[in-house]
Amino acid sequence: MVKIQCAILSFFVSIVCAAALSLVYAFTEPIITEAEKNSIIENLKEVMNAQQFKEIIPDSLWQALDSLNNIVGIVFQVHPQGFGGLIPVTVGLDSDAKITSIKISKEGLKETPGLGARVADLDFTKQFIGKHAAILKLKTDGGDIDAVTGATISSRAVCNGIKKGIKQYSKYIESKDNKKQLFFNAQNFVEIIKDTLWYALSGRDTLGVIFIGITFGYLDSIKFMVGMDRKSKIIGINILYSKETDGIGERIRDKEFLDKFKEGIPDAITGATISSTALINAVKRNIERFKKFLK
Amino acid sequence: MSKWLISAKRIIIENPVIVMMIGLCPALAVTNTVRSSLGIGIATSFVLILANTILSLTKKIMPDKIRIHISIIIIATVVTIVDYFMQAFYPDLRQTLGIFVPLIVVNCIILSRVEAFTIRNSVVDVVLDGLAAGIGFTLMLAVIGAIREILGHGTFLGNPIFGGDFKRFPITFMILPPGAFLAVGILMGLFNKYIKKPK
Repeated sequence: MVKIQCAILSFFVSIVCAAALSLVYAFTEPIITEAEKNSIIENLKEVMNAQQFKEIIPDSLWQALDSLNNIVGIVFQVHPQGFGGLIPVTVGLDSDAKITSIKISKEGLKETPGLGARVADLDFTKQFIGKHAAILKLKTDGGDIDAVTGATISSRAVCNGIKKGIKQYSKYIESKDNKKQLFFNAQNFVEIIKDTLWYALSGRDTLGVIFIGITFGYLDSIKFMVGMDRKSKIIGINILYSKETDGIGERIRDKEFLDKFKEGIPDAITGATISSTALINAVKRNIERFKKFLK
Repeated sequence: MSKWLISAKRIIIENPVIVMMIGLCPALAVTNTVRSSLGIGIATSFVLILANTILSLTKKIMPDKIRIHISIIIIATVVTIVDYFMQAFYPDLRQTLGIFVPLIVVNCIILSRVEAFTIRNSVVDVVLDGLAAGIGFTLMLAVIGAIREILGHGTFLGNPIFGGDFKRFPITFMILPPGAFLAVGILMGLFNKYIKKPK
């Protein structure tokens, strides 16, 4: 008899507890979801100045939009393996694939307090602002980032994580607004040849064309975008993709070099002849090819 | 009145952490800042008082045979409720405390109070007992947390209190696990020397 009483009592207690838990869950669940969402958006806003964020890959990648719904960049999250656990890093990339800012959340960071955890401090994170993936290395590894003293492993993990993230996600940047950079006064772009050639229009006027070309550099292909006005003059050129030698061939991305195109075709870069000549020839070739669309 | 006085005294002379030496796991693991110390202390006290009150009210209908497992079910329920509320209203604190919130279920203080006190006493006494143990636990955690945060981070509740070189190079050792043992050990030593009266 006592045994049955015990069983019934246990059953009853469990039912009451389960009911209480369900009630509390139903009450708190929406608040928890809301709080999580807010904390994510807050994180994103801290690294990128944008009006709103569109989720592309859940919990990993967002597009940052300004008030006119133009894409101004992307924000992504990576979790590189640090010394004590995974380090959650939020990174903002502008439309040039330059880092706008990074943030490492202090909550839930499993690095050693006072050592590895200092990667979350502003002293470390501010170094990343305005940098390209190519120079994201610790100074001891030949890069441009000062490691946190005594926390080389955590610092290196952050660098590599961001680099990997940029490599993985930077393809989401090249889109409409890249064209807008070349023809900032154009209102819209009409595609003529798929993924290759666009007319830049302002009202009914054609301002010029924009085209994308591909050539082969020293190590890998180079993808570039050129804006050309009605007189076949180059008004701007962007490198969309290149993976030449860091510090040598990659100098084709330098603003000074790219700006020279606006005054006519420049000379090759000393020391990076193969990469820059490839680019120069390809630009020339494509101008000849697309000139006729300007008539 | 004397009941209150006795309870107040028990905060120190029967302090769970430095006298009875129970509940040491959170006392060592999550006391590297005052904020997380207070967080885990208050959560534990809340569970302690609520669960013990429920168990005390139901002790007459509870057969001895299944008492412990019913106690655990009820404690676990209360802990989960506290956990949900923390996630909803203090998400960053909850993230810092991590696994130590669910681990309140197996905190020795709670079960020891249930077994040693709750089943033999009235509801009022149980609440007073829970308050004494809870405040004692929270207080001691806050003291350990303050020692470690001030020396290890150079801050108190997140506000910097030192300037100059100490701010840049605090005694990092204190916020690492050995610092917790050191702080608890020194507190126990001081207690035994100055407060504990020989019987």
